[in-house]
Amino acid sequence: MTTKPPKARTAQPHHTGVYKADSIKDVAEMLNINISDAIATALASDVEYRVHQVVEEAAKFMRHGRRTTMTTSDIEQALRVLNIEPLYGHTPHNPPTFRRAAPVYGHLSNNAASSGSANAGAVYFVEDEEIDFDRVLREEKIVMPKGVSWTAHWLAVEGVQPLIPENPPPVPREIDLHPPETAKPNGVVAAPSAPPLAMINGTGIANDIKKPQQQQQSQHLVKQVLSRELQLYYTRLTSSLLPPSSDFAKRTAALASLRSDAGLQALLPYLIRWVGEGVVGALKEGVQTENDGKVLEILMEVIGAILDNNTLFVEPYLHQLLPPLLSTLLHSSLPRSHSTQLRTISSQTLSGLLTKHSTTYPSLSPRIMKTLLLALISPGKSKGTREGAIRGLIGVGKEAVRQGLVESGGAKVVGIEVQQEMGNVVEDEALKKAVMDALHVLRPPSDSEMSDSLNLSDEADLQVATRLHDVLGEYFALYVGRDAAWAKAIIGGNINDGLDLVGQEN
Amino acid sequence: MSGNTPPTASRSPTATSPSQTLESASNGADIDRLVLQYLRAKGHNVAEKAFLSEIEGSTADARNARQDTINAEELAKTLAVFVHKPSRPGENALKETASVLSELSSMSNTPALQTLISNISSVGSEEILAEDPLDKPEGFRELVAWVEGSLDMYRPEFRPILFPIFCHFYLDLIQAGRKDAALQFFATFSPQLEAAHSATLQRLSTLLLPAHVQNDELAQRFRDEKYFIRISRSGFGLLLGWLTEGIGGEAMGAGYGFYGEKGKRGRVAVMQVVNNHLRFDVTSSTSASLPPNTWEESTGLTSSLIPHANGAQSKIYNPQAFNLSKGDLKLGPAPIPEDLKAETERVAREKAMLEGIPASQYDISLARPPAPSGVLVPTEADMPPLPPNFKTVDVEREVSAIRDARKRIRLEPSTLNGLDPTSPQASAIRARALPSICAYTLHDVPEGAPCCTFSQDTSLMAAGFSESYIRLWSLKGEKLRGMRSDFSANSIRDSASLRKIKEKKGSTTRKLIGHSGPVYSVDFDPLSGSAAPPKYLLSASADGTSRLWSMDTMTNLVAFRGHENPVWDVKWSPLGTYFATASRDRTARLWSTDRISCLRIYAGHLGDVDCVRFHPNSLYLATGSSDWTARLWDVQKGSCVRVFIGHQGPISNLAISPDGRYLASAGEDLAINLWDIGSGKRIKKMTGHTASIYSLAFSAESSLLMSGGADWTVRCWDVKSAGGPPNKRDATTPSSNSPVSHKFGEEEVIESTSDLISTFPTKRTPIVNVQFTPRNLCLVGGIYQSPETR
Repeated sequence: MTTKPPKARTAQPHHTGVYKADSIKDVAEMLNINISDAIATALASDVEYRVHQVVEEAAKFMRHGRRTTMTTSDIEQALRVLNIEPLYGHTPHNPPTFRRAAPVYGHLSNNAASSGSANAGAVYFVEDEEIDFDRVLREEKIVMPKGVSWTAHWLAVEGVQPLIPENPPPVPREIDLHPPETAKPNGVVAAPSAPPLAMINGTGIANDIKKPQQQQQSQHLVKQVLSRELQLYYTRLTSSLLPPSSDFAKRTAALASLRSDAGLQALLPYLIRWVGEGVVGALKEGVQTENDGKVLEILMEVIGAILDNNTLFVEPYLHQLLPPLLSTLLHSSLPRSHSTQLRTISSQTLSGLLTKHSTTYPSLSPRIMKTLLLALISPGKSKGTREGAIRGLIGVGKEAVRQGLVESGGAKVVGIEVQQEMGNVVEDEALKKAVMDALHVLRPPSDSEMSDSLNLSDEADLQVATRLHDVLGEYFALYVGRDAAWAKAIIGGNINDGLDLVGQEN
Repeated sequence: MSGNTPPTASRSPTATSPSQTLESASNGADIDRLVLQYLRAKGHNVAEKAFLSEIEGSTADARNARQDTINAEELAKTLAVFVHKPSRPGENALKETASVLSELSSMSNTPALQTLISNISSVGSEEILAEDPLDKPEGFRELVAWVEGSLDMYRPEFRPILFPIFCHFYLDLIQAGRKDAALQFFATFSPQLEAAHSATLQRLSTLLLPAHVQNDELAQRFRDEKYFIRISRSGFGLLLGWLTEGIGGEAMGAGYGFYGEKGKRGRVAVMQVVNNHLRFDVTSSTSASLPPNTWEESTGLTSSLIPHANGAQSKIYNPQAFNLSKGDLKLGPAPIPEDLKAETERVAREKAMLEGIPASQYDISLARPPAPSGVLVPTEADMPPLPPNFKTVDVEREVSAIRDARKRIRLEPSTLNGLDPTSPQASAIRARALPSICAYTLHDVPEGAPCCTFSQDTSLMAAGFSESYIRLWSLKGEKLRGMRSDFSANSIRDSASLRKIKEKKGSTTRKLIGHSGPVYSVDFDPLSGSAAPPKYLLSASADGTSRLWSMDTMTNLVAFRGHENPVWDVKWSPLGTYFATASRDRTARLWSTDRISCLRIYAGHLGDVDCVRFHPNSLYLATGSSDWTARLWDVQKGSCVRVFIGHQGPISNLAISPDGRYLASAGEDLAINLWDIGSGKRIKKMTGHTASIYSLAFSAESSLLMSGGADWTVRCWDVKSAGGPPNKRDATTPSSNSPVSHKFGEEEVIESTSDLISTFPTKRTPIVNVQFTPRNLCLVGGIYQSPETR
């Protein structure tokens, strides 16, 4: 197409712009008109001027169309207002793709060098795709474009851009470029309350992960992973919980936030580690003080709050969460003033954890059971540990209590220990109470006035009493024996085989 | 090179135009003879023949008549320099130029022209015709060298001189038919002017034939109008020194210097342009005392941009002088009719009682703060005619305005000033200073939506699409139901029966079809304010109509025809009833909804009117145009009362602050200018956007300006701060133009000014609309551009 004798080109050393005289000549040749170089040059200049006029007009339509790419429709509108017949067949739906044909280097190299322009001789053409009817007819169906839809999200909340999927990730700027500007203060943002207007729909709003636009250096260890807000939240949270101050309201607020706020998932590993370290720290030292008890109490509450929070995905962290929980539960020497309460709280937490997660994690309760049984039965454990194990069993459930105290003979072991060592009355009492509580789980105690003790003269009752003695040991059998219904309930599950047993003995 | 070109091609245009010129002069015969002699002597036979035939067969038809006069005037200007030179040879250069200037300024009609022509001696005409096209590039090269070699304190002042001289040289060369020389000239010198003047240069580069120069509007403006340059007295003296004597030019011994004949001829060429097409606004202030961007306001072809003061009075060349001549404006809030005020107060008191809050918190002054001192408050007589009686909706609007004012989020960016970012209170202060922004993103819009707007009560969103339709969405999730068409008008008696004929089904979105071109602007009526959903929607389209849509029936009520060209923008007046449109036909028009023809036409812009905004008190209308200016019009009189010159590109959007004192304008030069409406002066220029700015909005306190644009960001500007370039750490380097290597206007990176408080990027979403709710929540609308498209 553009193959022209090189002479014509060398005649005009300067380019007249995009539109070349050669193109005019080509068009003229197509129409069988012969025109001179001078006319072609002049015409090319004029064509370019006119094209620019149209483009300038089209640029207005592009600008008002709020676009940055000019489309064929802009050109069409421009031609319309310039009172020129539009070019038909070009739709913005299907923009033509221009292909660049490789220039023929053979005889153009001289010119390209002389004119100093790199793209001399480049030819662009509209690609005319061949359509295979067979294929088109066989093709499934045309996908209809989705209709226009809208979404709403917070671009900024009080001047801080939240880090939500709808917003782009923040671009860290060089700090030393504009230090006063970039070091804009970014607020601690509490979880945003409900959107101020009722019309905002739910998409992408409720999220309290805040991201400053300029992430600053952070002295904290976790700076790469956590946003500044989360770090701040973390420090605020932990500092308001520990050390246990008298500021009860603050602590309650912190726990409430932990219990119900969304968006804390990223913090979860750090919180769990913090709890774990706290528990280890409190239990490590030989003698537990009052303060340690308080610390442990709060940490247990934290675990409870984490488990209560429905927006957190805790399961992957259960294996990290259980050690502090069980440590507290089974530790031999908890501070006296808190021991019962602590063990109760932790057993309740354990209970909650199990009801929530044992369905998705079926091996969880057997494993915990095993640990607790070991603590309950194996010799050489302290009374505190035994108590904790019993409390833990209560937390695990009725069946666990039956299995642990009754079937595995836990109560017997405990009873013997209580009878043997008369050293620490308080501990004994606590242990005793724990056992009684556990046994009560098997059957709620009837009113004490109404209860009648086992009538040893009665054959059946005697059997029960014997059985009770076998199972619970002398010590607790005595207590339980005072309430016949209770005793029966405890034996209940294995009363029949118990009877069989008695029968065999007889 | 000129030898190669055939004489007909290159010489005839220059030869014929003087001939036409001289015919019009009374004593043209002498000149004709001179020209003929010259042509003969130079051996241009063909030109000579053409010239002769031109003289003989000259019949100046109507089309040429206009050109004749222009050329006559131009020739006179061209000659003027040489008329005086031989008459007063010697060294008295400054005086001479001054006298030329004075001569030229007085000369504008034919008698003066005749005297000038009669003064021509043979030497003068000889010199004109022996003009060499190479003088011009040489002269320009010297001028650039002189400007760049001048003292630092003068350089910013001298740089604006380069551009008009460049343009004129280029046009001269094109007009002389020396396209090759012109292109070479353009290629050599345009890069250093590119940054500041790319749009104009682009336009000029397309002019390649003498005919283009004659027809092109911009070229004609360059030819006909004076290019204004502000310069200090001492700077002007230096310039004259160089022009006449070559003082302070190149370094000693470099090139031909000012001793060479060539250098002198180049300077003469420059002087010609300076004398004929430039006008210097000589100020006594030194360049150092002027802010860096002042040249934008006072430089350029400003004379036609400034409207004529009163008919045929003397032209005003300085926008400030024009603005001053128009007197004070009534920028205070619109008065509220007494009966409406009383009723509003009554209802407000009831509301206060009901809600159990002191009546002082429901005071009408909350929503309508008294005008600050020094601002003229319009009286009811000033207001355009409005319906005589108020309606329930008016009271509701006023009451809800009071409530909104009470519950408004206060945004005080000024508290950020001098704030230590590390201080513990910083975050709290920041939260108080900056708005919350709710972004509405449209998805799956293949061909773009040029506009989008939210109703004041935020119940509705409307967007106009390139595919000629408008789409409404209910943001509250309510169903948008129109009215059935199959009912008899007799059956409607009250509101209950009216409700009966509502459509049964509906969805939360609705398409309004009626336009036959891209919809460029939509606007909800402000009458119900934030108290109730709007009743009407206006739209403007490329089909030349603006349309009124009812939100009750969901149908088109009226098509307002009048603009023959695409309508770029439409805006309701703050009091309803009236609205204004801006069109490609270079006019803005005022309409009222009850008439199909327009009430006023605001004509005067030299380019498309791209946007319109009403002043909050409805007395004034601001327009932004492609002629790079914004104007303020008196709505009722239809006259222009302020002109704002300073943008370096078409103006894409405007906003007027709710307190009525400031105008913010965004231009294609990617700057936002803030103007004081009262004085017409620019307060500051705010830069930071990296692509076109599509929308501007002031917060209710007028303290914060939000902008959104094609660079996918929403930006937040402090209106009250001083702005200017950001403070650099090292205070040793002066802020601007310190590096010597820094060429004029060369700025690759757009530096954001210090009043840019915050930037909120979005994901690939150009922001087409930014607005504040009455309670200062910021709503932005944009169209997501998926990366796959195109």
